[in-house]
Amino acid sequence: MNFGFSISPSSHIMMDDVSRKRFDALKKTEPDIAICMSCGSCTATCTAGANAEVSLRRMILMLQRGKDDEALAMASRCLLCGKCYLVCPRGINTRHVLLSISKCLGHDEDI
Amino acid sequence: MLDDMNKVVIKGGGAAGLRAASRLKRNGIDTVVIERESTLGGHLAQWDRLFPDGQKAKDVLDRLLSDINGVEVMTNHTITEIQRENDIFKIKLDDNTVIQADAVLDTTGFDIFKAEKKQEYGYGIYDRVITNAELESFFKTGSDRRIDNPKKIGFVHCVGSRDIKVGNTYCSKVCCATALKQACEMREAFPESEVYTFYMDLRMFGKGYEDLYLKAQQDYGVKCVRGRVSEVAEAKDGRLVIKAEDTLLGKPLKMTLDLLVLMCGMERKDGFIATKNGFVEQNITDEKGIFVAGTAIQPMTLPETIANADAAVLDIVEFLKRRK
Amino acid sequence: MMKTFDIFVIPFVVGMVFVLMFCLAALGRVILQMPHSDRRRLLVSLVTPQTFLRNIRDIFCDCLLHVKIWKRNPVLGFMHSAIAFGWFMIIVIGHIEVFVLQPFNDYNLSFAQDLGSKLYLPIFFRFFSPEAVSPTAKTLAFLMDFFLALILCGILTAFLKKIKSTIVGVKRITKFGFADSVIRIALWTIFPFRLAAETTQLMVFWWLYSLDLCLFMFLLPFTRYMHIPSEMLLILLRNAGIKSKSPRQGFALAEMYSCPGCGLCIDACPMSVDDEKSGMTSVYFIRNLRKNDPEKMREMAEVCLMCGKCVSVCPVAIQSCDLKMNLRKNESENLISDLSYLNKVDISENICEKGEKVLFFAGCMTHLTPRIIKSMKKIFEKAGERYEIMDSEGGICCGRPMLLAGKTDAAQAVIAKNTEMIRKSGARKLVVSCPICYRVFKEEYQLEDIEIQHHSQYIDEIISKGKLKLSRTKSRIVYHDPCELGRPFGIYDEPRHVVESCGVLVEAAQNRNMSVCCGGSLGSITMSKDKRDAVTDSSLANLMANHPDEIATACPLCLKTFAKKTDIQVNDIAELVAENCS
Repeated sequence: MNFGFSISPSSHIMMDDVSRKRFDALKKTEPDIAICMSCGSCTATCTAGANAEVSLRRMILMLQRGKDDEALAMASRCLLCGKCYLVCPRGINTRHVLLSISKCLGHDEDI
Repeated sequence: MLDDMNKVVIKGGGAAGLRAASRLKRNGIDTVVIERESTLGGHLAQWDRLFPDGQKAKDVLDRLLSDINGVEVMTNHTITEIQRENDIFKIKLDDNTVIQADAVLDTTGFDIFKAEKKQEYGYGIYDRVITNAELESFFKTGSDRRIDNPKKIGFVHCVGSRDIKVGNTYCSKVCCATALKQACEMREAFPESEVYTFYMDLRMFGKGYEDLYLKAQQDYGVKCVRGRVSEVAEAKDGRLVIKAEDTLLGKPLKMTLDLLVLMCGMERKDGFIATKNGFVEQNITDEKGIFVAGTAIQPMTLPETIANADAAVLDIVEFLKRRK
Repeated sequence: MMKTFDIFVIPFVVGMVFVLMFCLAALGRVILQMPHSDRRRLLVSLVTPQTFLRNIRDIFCDCLLHVKIWKRNPVLGFMHSAIAFGWFMIIVIGHIEVFVLQPFNDYNLSFAQDLGSKLYLPIFFRFFSPEAVSPTAKTLAFLMDFFLALILCGILTAFLKKIKSTIVGVKRITKFGFADSVIRIALWTIFPFRLAAETTQLMVFWWLYSLDLCLFMFLLPFTRYMHIPSEMLLILLRNAGIKSKSPRQGFALAEMYSCPGCGLCIDACPMSVDDEKSGMTSVYFIRNLRKNDPEKMREMAEVCLMCGKCVSVCPVAIQSCDLKMNLRKNESENLISDLSYLNKVDISENICEKGEKVLFFAGCMTHLTPRIIKSMKKIFEKAGERYEIMDSEGGICCGRPMLLAGKTDAAQAVIAKNTEMIRKSGARKLVVSCPICYRVFKEEYQLEDIEIQHHSQYIDEIISKGKLKLSRTKSRIVYHDPCELGRPFGIYDEPRHVVESCGVLVEAAQNRNMSVCCGGSLGSITMSKDKRDAVTDSSLANLMANHPDEIATACPLCLKTFAKKTDIQVNDIAELVAENCS
């Protein structure tokens, strides 16, 4: 049926619908994921990011906002070169964070 | 040496006043502390623990109090009038007592911003919205009927600070660190809870503050969201629905909370007291013989307040010496 | 009449039969688990005279004489060869005694009795033939006693090592589990029992000797002593050119069995600086592989820095890094990868000149150490080289970090893209300043007619050709051997030549293949910053042993890792050269 209009999904992040489980599981695997302060150094230096949309800072935020699929898609573009580890002022083990995102989100569908 | 005739009146028995009193006493200067409340300590007496390392506020206050042993203290008194006669101040109190003094130190500190002014945050309207000071007294007393095992807790930074709409364009300096300190304490008190802080900038400038930030994230799992809460509504079940922007993702965000803590900043009804020079005459006012110290000048942290009181004492001692 | 049998030999015979059967079964498993191509390779190698001779030599030198351990520490070498070679000789001479003296020849033994006696007679010869009468018998008896004494000396050394490991130059020794501790006691007592039995001829000692051997052989398959039979097989497989393709099967199984648990890798491992982590070294990794404990296996494989020093010191040359890589591969191979954007990458902006030239690949890490790029430009210009920087704008990773993380298929996509771009550039020579890149270019890229050089090789070459004039300072410079450059390729001298032409070369306490990882390695996936910092500190302490004025290295990652932890100047060799060339 055509009502002459359609309802577009809310652009809001609905935090009430976000499950903590995935992020908590990731935090268990790599505790460093909790200490990002969103400075953006990783994004700026990213080798893959020069050619595609890759930002570890955003991935970490996305995971906390329930945007797991977007985070996984970004992680799948990572070349694991490790530049982000070198520039991170918090010393986050970035490569392990990235691999863990792929591992936790790519496999355990049931979490 | 200064002779016994010197007398200084300190207006306000908070952290700055107490510290200044003890230092003046050490310099052999006769000092009177006038405090309008019935007890000394000001805001410090209302606080439970202090950032960044969670030291008990009481321990600091006890130390300040023990240092003023022997200093004349007049609580429950307010100054109604200060008259200058030549170089002597005649200070009239509400019970018509008059004290003569050679100098006056104003340590009247700050007021906590009245959260009601930001109606959009719902303080005084919704039961689950409280202020930082109220949370602190909850930590102190262990009871507040509004805090009932909250599962999701939010902290709003910069309430009444950096806000031209309420007339306060400045940063209150202490709220960022207080918010993270209180956030950690809430996680300790309610281990099942999730704690979010909504900030515009995290200003963790002091010694140990950045470590507190890291500890809050790493050990307490506090989640910091960059974005100011702009609207709070009440859900049917009495919980709070807040709206903020996650500015780091560039997306608006909605969330239901069980408790919202407003980090109310510092303000003074008649504004902060101006000093002669912000760099080299920080404690000297245009009025000769009248000095000022602590948060009556501008928002300060506790260590800054104490250092500032010390500096004011040096200025007063020099002033009294030079007058001889 | 002389006895031909006594009931005390039974425990030994049972143990012997058990161990032979187990080894046969294990051999079968190893062979069957290998891919067909590897089995073929093994077969070919066994009938090739050259490899055959190499096998004999290696088995003799490695399994019996332990030449590698002698080179490391003579006392430790003596301990190993006394026990291994002594025991081997006792077995050999024991059989010669039986063959030459034929004590049972006058008896009519049944086939079964004869077969049984073949097993036990060389072991208990003195029981059945206590008197050596003929000169031949006396000579053989003397030899037997000599080697027995040698073994006992070896066991005494082992005992002393257990009390104080530093006498054999070892700081940390392996912590053993129950079975390993029991079998060690069994091994240490076999020969004293034999000595007691032969001298006193008391039945009780013959029983103890036999029971002890039985215990040893029953425990052997489940303990580190499995390396005794397995190492020989490993040598054959390795000489056939076979490499492990799985973490636990085929060749890997042979490697697992061959780990003697000697623990030389514990001192070698940079992680051992932090005592808690010394439980993460290869000897324990392989123990967990044998136990098939998936959690521990993964944890150890992921934390390893892949510096390869454990492989360097391993007397059995077990390629534990390969095993860890295989494990990582199993873990990460199926992770989603979307590298379709690589198609858009275009470096034609960087490559404008046609014709003969040197292509310089800075790589990801060098982009964070821009002084190296600047220095290389200066060096190319001074040397009058036609050059271009492949990744000055854009460019992608070399692929090695992905390989290290186990994402082998995704790495191939990166490798293919880089290969295409390098070929297109028309360069004849590729120079890289990062050993991580160098390794993958050498090992994985198919760039047949393009010469690949690490910048240390390139600079050394142009200096020796006289294309670069350098002035030497009096500064004492210690050179740090990067893990990815030294151990895999033996590039130790070229960078040292370069350092020597700029200043006074000083050596670190441990250098070349004993060099200590800087702690920054991309090899480790899970190591936290604190642990890495501990490794860096110990690596720096190693470099500072001879009080140099400055540190030189040939890897941007080592450079960055050191620079943040030390106050003395850290330079890449390219920076040294650029500073000192006129």
